[in-house]
Amino acid sequence: MKVKVLIFSLLALSAFAFALSEYPSQGGGDPWTAQQLLNPADLAQTLKNQKAPQPIVFCVGMQAVIKGSIEIGPAMVQENLDKLKQRLDKLPKDANIVVYCGCCPFSRCPNIRPAMQLLGSLKFTNFKLLNLPQNIKVDWIDHGYPMNE
Amino acid sequence: MNKLLLIMAFLVSNLMVSYGQSTPIETGQKAPEIVLSSPSGNMISLSSCRGKLVLIDFWATWCAPCVQEQDELARLYQMYHRSVFTNGTGFEIFGVSLDAKRADWEGTIAKKHIGWTQVSDLKFWRSPVAKAYNIQELPFNVLIDGKGIILAKNLHGEELEKGISKFLAK
Repeated sequence: MKVKVLIFSLLALSAFAFALSEYPSQGGGDPWTAQQLLNPADLAQTLKNQKAPQPIVFCVGMQAVIKGSIEIGPAMVQENLDKLKQRLDKLPKDANIVVYCGCCPFSRCPNIRPAMQLLGSLKFTNFKLLNLPQNIKVDWIDHGYPMNE
Repeated sequence: MNKLLLIMAFLVSNLMVSYGQSTPIETGQKAPEIVLSSPSGNMISLSSCRGKLVLIDFWATWCAPCVQEQDELARLYQMYHRSVFTNGTGFEIFGVSLDAKRADWEGTIAKKHIGWTQVSDLKFWRSPVAKAYNIQELPFNVLIDGKGIILAKNLHGEELEKGISKFLAK
């Protein structure tokens, strides 16, 4: 009986640790839901398929690495956040929008939170955060996904 | 009981995979050559530091812990710059920035009064150096000896100073 309890505890601990390592940003009151995290492989596939409806992809970090993405600049800077707002003001509220930064692990990225908060406060209904939990190199470049020249 | 051990081994290996950082940059290997531009436009090679103990510091102004670490690097640079080591004469820091914007890079070098070698291709995470050194996250550093052989990697805080001072010549 004790062994079973121990096994169960270890399994629960392992599942918890695995969840933490896979989704380090979850549960910390971040301004996005699990459903709003877009898998990089899915975006890469969409970008490669020109017949598919294309999202509007905003880089709210240092450099617009992803093919076709629009460079806004670090959203931690108010001037850049204003620039993003100006762009968003021209879009319908149900526009298909993706934002990303990819400088640092989600837990300490200073740019994704202000951008996602802005989109939420402006009542957009179809916006996603590209799931780059480590950074743009590990989660995009190293996979050979499409990049700007 | 055997089953229990097996399950525990499985769980531990799972955790190691989850948190581990794979890299071909290993101690005992020769550090890949780096030839990049300084802020003034001069091409500087890592191999120009041969003969010294060298810390290759991969950083960026957008990486808060990296900028924070520059003060500690300045202290170590002052303390060991002219020291004699068992595997090199003098201590050098070879700063490689993964910045994207020249103004950010040069601004922080000036603000922090960074006095050691600084190079960058301003290619952010697309820099070939990030690939060559298989950098997974910043800050990241590599300590090499006078012959360019990797002695240690990713040392920070007290571990970094210990990693340098243990090679001081008696």
